[in-house]
Amino acid sequence: MKLAPYRKKSPWILHFNAGGCNGCDIEILACLGPKYDIERFGMINTGNPKQSDVLLITGPVTKRTRERLVEIYAQMPEPKVVISCGACACTGGVFRGMYNCEGGVDQFIPVDVYVCGCGTRPEQIIDGVVQALGILEKKTRAMEESVRLKKEALKEGEQINRRHVAGEIKPALT
Amino acid sequence: MNGYLLPVLLIILAPFIGGLVYGFERIVKARMQRRIGPPLLQPFYDFLKLADKRQMIVHSAHAFLGIMHFVSLWFALALLLLGADLILVIFLHLLSSALLIMAGFSTRSIFSHLGANRTALSILAYEPVLIIIAVSLFINTGSFDAAAAFTSEEPLLFKMPLAFVALLLVLPIKLKKSPFDVAEAHQEITGGVELEFSGLFFEAVYTAKWLDYIFCYTLVFLFAGSNILLGIGLVAGTFLYLNALDNSTARVNYKQMLRFSLGIAFTLAFINLLINSLT
Amino acid sequence: MNLYLTGVILLPLLVSALLLILPPKISKGLVILSSLVLSALALLLYIQVDEPLRITLPHAVNEGIVVADILMLLYFGWVAIRRKSVLVGLLSVLQLGGLLYLLRTLPASEAPQLLVDKLSTFMLLLINVISGIIAVFSLRYIDEEDCSAFRKKFFLSVLFWFIAAMNMVVISDNLEFFFFFFELTTLASFLFIGFRKDEVSVKNALTALWMNQIGGLTILAAIFFIAYNGYGEITFTNLLAHSTAEGVLLPLALLSMAALIKGAQLPFSKWLLGAMVAPTPVSALLHSSTMVKIAPFIILRLSPAIKDTPVAMVLIGLTGFVFIASAISALSQDNFKRILAHSTIALLALMIMMGAVGSPVTIVASLVLVLFHGISKCMLFLNAGILERVFHLKQSSDMDKLGESGPFTALVISIGFMSLLLPPFGAFIGKWLSIETIGTLATDKKLLGALVMVAVAGGGAVLSLLYFKVMGLLIARSGEKDRVQFEKTGPYYAGTTYLLLGLVMAGIIGLPLLLMYYFGPVATTTLGQAVPVFQDGWNFFVGTMRIPMLPMLIAFILLPLTLVTAMFIRFRHADRAKEYMCGEKVNYSFSSFYFTIDRAVPYFSAAGILFFIALLLAALL
Repeated sequence: MKLAPYRKKSPWILHFNAGGCNGCDIEILACLGPKYDIERFGMINTGNPKQSDVLLITGPVTKRTRERLVEIYAQMPEPKVVISCGACACTGGVFRGMYNCEGGVDQFIPVDVYVCGCGTRPEQIIDGVVQALGILEKKTRAMEESVRLKKEALKEGEQINRRHVAGEIKPALT
Repeated sequence: MNGYLLPVLLIILAPFIGGLVYGFERIVKARMQRRIGPPLLQPFYDFLKLADKRQMIVHSAHAFLGIMHFVSLWFALALLLLGADLILVIFLHLLSSALLIMAGFSTRSIFSHLGANRTALSILAYEPVLIIIAVSLFINTGSFDAAAAFTSEEPLLFKMPLAFVALLLVLPIKLKKSPFDVAEAHQEITGGVELEFSGLFFEAVYTAKWLDYIFCYTLVFLFAGSNILLGIGLVAGTFLYLNALDNSTARVNYKQMLRFSLGIAFTLAFINLLINSLT
Repeated sequence: MNLYLTGVILLPLLVSALLLILPPKISKGLVILSSLVLSALALLLYIQVDEPLRITLPHAVNEGIVVADILMLLYFGWVAIRRKSVLVGLLSVLQLGGLLYLLRTLPASEAPQLLVDKLSTFMLLLINVISGIIAVFSLRYIDEEDCSAFRKKFFLSVLFWFIAAMNMVVISDNLEFFFFFFELTTLASFLFIGFRKDEVSVKNALTALWMNQIGGLTILAAIFFIAYNGYGEITFTNLLAHSTAEGVLLPLALLSMAALIKGAQLPFSKWLLGAMVAPTPVSALLHSSTMVKIAPFIILRLSPAIKDTPVAMVLIGLTGFVFIASAISALSQDNFKRILAHSTIALLALMIMMGAVGSPVTIVASLVLVLFHGISKCMLFLNAGILERVFHLKQSSDMDKLGESGPFTALVISIGFMSLLLPPFGAFIGKWLSIETIGTLATDKKLLGALVMVAVAGGGAVLSLLYFKVMGLLIARSGEKDRVQFEKTGPYYAGTTYLLLGLVMAGIIGLPLLLMYYFGPVATTTLGQAVPVFQDGWNFFVGTMRIPMLPMLIAFILLPLTLVTAMFIRFRHADRAKEYMCGEKVNYSFSSFYFTIDRAVPYFSAAGILFFIALLLAALL
């Protein structure tokens, strides 16, 4: 049975604020409300990386959140997509170059969809998620293959620690 | 042989029916909030998606206990539907939850520990009421067997109305519905015990929740005796009540929960037991 | 006199004396050999004795006992003076006065002093096998103890005459004998608890002494009332023969009280909890095979007389209350041994309750609990000793590293807990029979039955949660150390553990056979009426009670096997991930996240005292 089509039918979202002003976060929460109701598409805001498919990042990466971001990304099982949400998350935005800021998310983890705006409109977020789902369905296969290859390359019985693998995988579509 | 056909069918189909109930519940809840809500089959989409995820575990014992939680819960449900001894059923159900608590304690995750502790406390909150219901059943029918309740001519509801009210009060604890969802508390402790499960292993815990729906609604159905229409009415009413409650209340903390369930629900069930045993 | 019986009584005494003088090397061999011989003798005795055996001892023994009695009470008095304990002194004086008064007024007894029936041999088997295992274990444990060489010898020596005293307790028919050996076990536990000689040990030893002395005093009072009511001989047999006579309830209630005190029921639970300060083999000894098991023994002996009386009703109420109260108290404990102690008190309450109900099924349930609780608790306590000595662990919240450093010990402790909890282990069957039979009690005493049923089922639920919490901590490990590798603990520790594991496993496999050929006959003689135990298809019947075998079997496959499998199973193709901590990498201390219910505990003992007063009132009215 082909399971890949069901990936986009139930995308569970993990929302991570890497150090933004909360503007985009409020818009994300608005998506969950009655007006936009993204649960129509089976989306749930889980708050738990181990059960999520979509990592939704807002705000610029700061020196404090950098390691947490990578740790959380590593704890999400494949297939997964990353959406950087808002100008700050994409490039650092107005915070770019500040002493406590590292800049955009894509310096640390591979990003699949960039959603622009300061703050992003809910319509844009939904559009970004829908695009991400298209990527999720296509790209995962490539990613799984790469992981499987790595697994075979390792000796049998030796455990793969996800954290070591994460940095080395190139996303199939960028 | 015919008598067994329906229960066996129900047992085999329990996860599917539970999934449908859960899907329907999500729609009803969304409609109560003036949303459209997910499709009816959404739980099954989730199920298939989770099966497709990469396997990732904390350690093997933890993942295995999650699976066994599902299996033992199914077994407890099977015994209940076959009309076995209610004390045994309640005990096995307790053990299946205990496996999950054990899994929670077996990791070094702070949220898992918190969740396991809170799950244990919520078991302390609802278990006494269930036990009293089993004892009242014994006093009223002379047998601990759930079959005695299913076949009783006069619905138990009329003999132990207060116990039914008590059951309604503790069901939200059991199904982890607001205001008594401290054990799960999705935004507070990110799911508690189930936090560390992922992919295929989370699937077991996720599906076990569907079985819990069937378990609870069967307990409600028990109160209707052999009157099937009344039973369906009770189940439908309970369903609406649970969802309305879930939508309209905020979470209380564990102390308030314990105080409420042991102070009010337990007392109600106990008064009912006293009345039953004295008359 | 019976050869085996003589052996069972005199051999431990002889070994006890020899241990004091022999060099350590030889005494090790002696302890192991005598433990084996004692177990064999007890087994042979169990096989041999079918009809109750009544044995008359020469008069000289009677007088010897009296002299020893007075000497012992004088020793208690000396302890009171040395430790400046008013309570112990007062109780010693009262006991001495009472004893002397009884000696003057009572006519010389002509009846056989000893009674060896199936119940006695059942207890003898339990006492000798389990205590023997503990003796072998303590060879190594006491070797590592920080004390003088003589104290080490002294410890083993006391252990053996303690066994002898226990053996005598369960075969005495004469109440004067019974009183003496009852007090002798008190003396032994006093010496044991005070063994480490620090301040806490001495204080707790004195607590144990005065509490158990009250038990002795109630036995003396019972003897007085038997004589006062004019029943004749002061023996158990005679008391049971007068079970319908007027005023018989008072001595029965007094003897039950002695049982409750020995069984550490509320409000007298403090002595058993205080006994934790002693070396761990002592706890194992007190909890599993000796000392506290006198409580269910007395109640089982008296059960034909007390069942359906007001005394039994109060006993049932009290023990039902103690069961749930100590289960709740156990929840708030963190010290591993204290958790075990509370669960012992709870299970003893259940055994006493079953004895007091006194129907065929409950007697079987009580016996099942006595035996399997003995084996499991022994295993748990000995492993608590290993934890202490090998892994230096005492708190249960520290145990979350044990799954990595000592998986075998963790596994054994898990099995021990499971055997107290899960189907189809014996203790579960006992518990289940209890809950279901209180239901049958409910038909005529509906209210009491319902209350007790709720207490037992609720307490059982609380206890199981606690056990599961500890078991969860025991299997805790991280993804990096997912492969189990057993540790080595040395021949004495590992040997006794394997033996006990074997006994527990034999208990599961042989449970139907044991019920039919072991518990059934014992219950029959205890009750004086036939207890039918048989198998019919997929159901197993004890009296009128049906045990469905199929659910039990599946439950076994599901639950205990699950937990054991969880120790070993490895998902090799799944990846390991760190625990989720919001991306943080801080180590938290988990123990700060537990809940305590300490505030309720003081009320429990107050309620316990009320029940004791109720017990006396029930007997008087």
